[in-house]
Amino acid sequence: MKAPKLVSQAMRSMRRYRLRTILMALGIVVGIASLTVLSSIGEATKRETMQRFKNMIGTFDTIIVRPGGGRSRGMPTLVNVPPTLRFEDADAIARDLPEIRAVAEMQTAFDVDIKYRDHAASPAVIGTSPNWLELRSDEVQDGVFFTQDQNAALARVAVIGTDVRTVLFPDQDPLGKTLRIADLPFQVIGLLKSRGAGPAGGSLDNLVLIPVNTASRRLFNRDFLTMVIAQVKDPERSSEATEKVMELLRERHHIRPPALDDFTITNPAATMAQVTRASSTLTKILTGVAAMALLIGGVVIMSLMSIAVSERWKEIGVRRSVGATRGDIVSQFMLEAILVALMGGIAGAVIGWGGMQFATRMQKLPQILVWRPFAAAILLSMIVGVVFGIYPAWKASRLDPIQALRS
Amino acid sequence: MIEAENISKTYSRGESGTVEALQGISFQIGPGEFVAVRGASGSGKSTLLNIVGCLDQPSSGTYRLDGEDVANYGDKQLSRIRNAKIGFIFQSFNLLPRTTALENVEIPMVYRDGHVDRRRALSALERVGLAARAHHFAMQLSGGEQQRVAIARALINSPALILADEPTGNLDVNAGREVMRLLEDLHNEGRTIVLVTHDDAIAASASREIQLRDGKIISDRQPSAKSSLPLVEGAR
Repeated sequence: MKAPKLVSQAMRSMRRYRLRTILMALGIVVGIASLTVLSSIGEATKRETMQRFKNMIGTFDTIIVRPGGGRSRGMPTLVNVPPTLRFEDADAIARDLPEIRAVAEMQTAFDVDIKYRDHAASPAVIGTSPNWLELRSDEVQDGVFFTQDQNAALARVAVIGTDVRTVLFPDQDPLGKTLRIADLPFQVIGLLKSRGAGPAGGSLDNLVLIPVNTASRRLFNRDFLTMVIAQVKDPERSSEATEKVMELLRERHHIRPPALDDFTITNPAATMAQVTRASSTLTKILTGVAAMALLIGGVVIMSLMSIAVSERWKEIGVRRSVGATRGDIVSQFMLEAILVALMGGIAGAVIGWGGMQFATRMQKLPQILVWRPFAAAILLSMIVGVVFGIYPAWKASRLDPIQALRS
Repeated sequence: MIEAENISKTYSRGESGTVEALQGISFQIGPGEFVAVRGASGSGKSTLLNIVGCLDQPSSGTYRLDGEDVANYGDKQLSRIRNAKIGFIFQSFNLLPRTTALENVEIPMVYRDGHVDRRRALSALERVGLAARAHHFAMQLSGGEQQRVAIARALINSPALILADEPTGNLDVNAGREVMRLLEDLHNEGRTIVLVTHDDAIAASASREIQLRDGKIISDRQPSAKSSLPLVEGAR
């Protein structure tokens, strides 16, 4: 029997037993819909987490050194860190370790009042080296970033984030304007491009960057750092570089075991891997739940199909008597199961797509169209059709035509 | 056309032993014959018809259909024979109920080569006088109409052999007469017809009568000339 005829015949019998077809498909619809929704949400959550993490870190080829042994929560600032990490330490890392390409020195403070005329804000004020842009993979949207010369000359220049611009310069161009950081005048020379939200959801654009030497000597009067960012030459070997930095700092700070380190090093690549692993687990659990639903859908198909076979004994007998082989009968019932499952799969994918749109809107997740679950859903529903259709179909084909006709 | 030699059919009945439905019977039916098989219920006539129709195979003995020894044939070969050489007509019509008359007639074509010739199916219906009801569902037709659809279905692949199992058993006299008239027409066209019945009047249409009892042939009357007696209710 030729395939097109087989398909049209299966469609006809699906129409003939409409209610049963719908019930059979329903199990698959629910299974596939939940599979697509849950796995898409899992995937979208994972991507969103990674994106936010990346927003915060910038690049993954850096090592972050902070003063203090215990991991302090939140952003280290001049008031909450011990004065153990010095400018000289940063110089030594840059100078002595061939694994390190570049180093940025940072002094961070919050609670510093910033004013422009009658507008006031209190963003993070960060004194940093001029290589901030590369090490954080940041971009200047307008104007320029400060230079090494300006840093050496203790220039009073500032580059501001978009949040600061919104508050201080609501309807004017900030470039060239002079704002006051703790009453010290700074000229705005650049505006950073927006980075969006960090992993905790907070804005990464509420900041003012000034040269670190200016910050240290003119503004804060502190000669220790809140953070050193070191860029490694070979990102593949960042953990080795991390070891080297650790050894160097222990030596410089005269720390010998069992004494504890007075600094903390984090390796973003490693942290990132951890975050990714956690969200992958979430995705797997969600997918597993949905797969169970699909399995139940398959069982529904199998049981309804088995009932269908016993109700259609006579039809099977008739078909056998006019020349249908066992193979023809298997094909017929298999095809019906597959088509029903496929129909359910497509409907489920469409519903799942709608559900995902809804869910991403509710969760404020990015509208990522994850096509893989959808393609997988279609394929999966066909597989379910085959797996759960094969037994009833086989049973139908083994029926003795004489018995079947007599029924 | 049909050569049966020493055919037996044994059914196992679980622990209570076996039932011998046919006990080593032999007969031949030539092309174009119209044979009535008669006997009480349980005499083995349905078993015989199933074997002749390649729905079943004998437990022992040889059965040749058109010169082919089908005793050792597998499912595919038997199905091909049923499809191409045999047309079945059943007592209970056996149409697919939620399917139109036309589609019912088309089913054997599906299993021949997958090519469904709708015009041929329509002309088969026309032949049994039901062209006007081609698009009615089988369950909407009367018994006589259903049996005529079944005849059209049996004819669609132009089989040489028509097997009818009590074709008028569920019909009233007029409908039965119409069905018998169609069978006689088919016979007159040269088709071989084997008819199972226990109705004397029906059997009278046949040119030969095989009587079975307890799985054995007890008489095989072969009148020299074909009976051309008109079908009369209650004859003999």
